[in-house]
Amino acid sequence: MPEEKKDTREEALIAAPAIVLQEIGGVWDNFLREVGSMFWFIAHTFDETFERVREGRVPFRASSFFRHAERAGVDSVPLVALVSFFLGLTMALLTGYQLQRFGTERLIPGLVSIAFTRELGPLITGIMLAARIGAAFTAELGTMTVSEEVEAIEAMGIGPLRFLVAPRMLALFFLMPCLSTISNMAAIFASSLISKAYFSIAFPYFLDLVRDALLIRDLITGVLKSFLFGLLIAGIACYRGLTVKGGAAGVGTATTSSVVTAITVVIGVDTLYNIVYVNFFPT
Amino acid sequence: MSANNSHIVELRDVKKEFEDKKVLDGVSLTVEPRERLVIMGQSGSGKSTVLRVILGMLQPDAGTVFFKQFEITRLKRRKLQQVRRHIGMVYQYSALLSSRNVRDNVALPLEELTDKSRGEIDKIVDEKLDLVGMKDARDLMPSELSGGMRKRVSLARALVLEPELILFDEPTAGLDPVIASVIDELIINLSEKSKVTSIVVTHEMASAFRIGTRMAMLYQGKVIEDAEPEKFKQSQNPVVRQFLSGSTEGPILEGSQDAIAKK
Repeated sequence: MPEEKKDTREEALIAAPAIVLQEIGGVWDNFLREVGSMFWFIAHTFDETFERVREGRVPFRASSFFRHAERAGVDSVPLVALVSFFLGLTMALLTGYQLQRFGTERLIPGLVSIAFTRELGPLITGIMLAARIGAAFTAELGTMTVSEEVEAIEAMGIGPLRFLVAPRMLALFFLMPCLSTISNMAAIFASSLISKAYFSIAFPYFLDLVRDALLIRDLITGVLKSFLFGLLIAGIACYRGLTVKGGAAGVGTATTSSVVTAITVVIGVDTLYNIVYVNFFPT
Repeated sequence: MSANNSHIVELRDVKKEFEDKKVLDGVSLTVEPRERLVIMGQSGSGKSTVLRVILGMLQPDAGTVFFKQFEITRLKRRKLQQVRRHIGMVYQYSALLSSRNVRDNVALPLEELTDKSRGEIDKIVDEKLDLVGMKDARDLMPSELSGGMRKRVSLARALVLEPELILFDEPTAGLDPVIASVIDELIINLSEKSKVTSIVVTHEMASAFRIGTRMAMLYQGKVIEDAEPEKFKQSQNPVVRQFLSGSTEGPILEGSQDAIAKK
C-alpha cells in the first residue's frame, strides 16, 4: 500500500508542471478573451451611436447625458477635491523636509504641481471614479440585465449600447478631465498652504514658482490621459454590467470585478502611456 | 428560399442547444395573421426560447425563422432592429424600466424610434393606457404597481408602435384567477379590435383555452400536437392527455427526477 501511495504522488509531481502550465495558459486565454470582448464592446458602442447619427437622429437624450454627468462629475467633486487636498498636503510636507536639508525647499511648488498635473491628478481621479462611478454603473446595468430590462429594450428595436452605454461613456469622457483639473488645483492649493506655514514661501512667490515649473505639455499630457481613463472606466463598468450572469450574486461579483478591473487598467494604461511618452517625446 | 407570404411567422426545423441540452430539436410552426396561437409545454420545455428566436434575440443552431417576408435568422443588426419594431413583446416579469414612471415606460419606444412630438406621444400613451385600463397610474413608478398592473403597462408599451405581432411570455403566471381572466380578456379584445396576431406561451390550462384559436404543445424540443382547441382537447397523444389532465401517471415524468421523488 505505501508503495502504491508513493507512486501516485510521484505521478502527481511529474504531472504538476503540466497542470500549472495548463492553468497559466487558461488564465492567459481568458485574459485575452476578456480584453478582446471589451475592445469590441467599446467599438460596437461607437458603431451603434454613429449609425444613429448618420440616420440624422440624436443617439440619446441630452437629459440622459446630463443626468450621468451630474452624478459622475458634479457629485464626485467633494471626494476628489478632498482626497487630492490631503495628498497635496502630505506630499508638500514630506518632500519639503527632505529638500530643506539641501536648502532647496523652493522646489516644492514645482514638484507638487508637475507630479499632479502630469501623473497623480489623473491617476488618483481615475482610481476614485473607478470605485465610485464604475461600481454604480455596473450595479445599475447589471440589475437591469438581470431583470430582463435590457433585453426588453433590445426587443423593442432600440440599440441598448447607444441608449444605455453611450451617454454614460460620454459623460465620464468629458467629466474626467474636469475632475482631474479640480484634483490638481486642490493639491496645488494644499501644497501652497504647507509651503507658507512650514517653509515660509509666500503665495505670490509660490505662484511664480509653479508658473516657472509647469510646461504646457505637462498640462496637455494630463488632460489627454484623463479623457482616455474616462472612456476606459465607463467602458469596463458598462461591459461588466451588461454581461452579468446569475441573479443578485452575479451583480455583486460583476461590481467587484468591474472596480478591480478598472483600477488595474487605469494604472496599467498610465504606465504604458508614460513609457510611450518618455520614449517618443523626451524632454 | 423565401417564405410563403400568407404566414406571419414561420419556423422551419429550428434547433437550439444550451450547454449540451437540446431545448429545441427541430421545431416547425406557422402562424397565420390574426390568429392567437397558444404554445404550451412544461416549464423548461423551450417555450420562451421559441419567442426569443422569433424576436431574433437568440440565434438558432439550425433552421430558419421568418417574420412575414423577412428571414430573421439572416438579418443584419440594423434591419433586425427595424423588424423588431413590428413585434411587441410582453415579458413574464413585465421588464418595465424601474427608473422610469409608467408614462415614460410606455412612451419609450415612441421617443426613441419615431419623430413624434411630445404632444402626440402623450396622446398615444394615454390612449394605450386607457385601452389596458391603466390611465390613472400614469405617474406611478413600476415599484408602486401590483403584478397584474405591471403586466398591463407592459402590454400598453408593447402596443404603442402598433405592432402586427405580439408575443406574450406567461402573461398570467403568478396572478390571481380574477386578474388572470382580465388579462386574458384584454388579449382577446386586442386581437379582435386591433387585428394583431398573438403568440402566447403559457402552461395555465384555463388561460390557454380561453385565449387560443389554435394550440401547440412543445415536448422534448418538438411540437407534438398542433390543433384547434377542440381537437387539441381530444388529442390521443399520451403526453398531451397527461398534460391536460395534470396526472402524475404517464410518459411526462418517466425517468425524471420528479418521478423518482414521487416514489
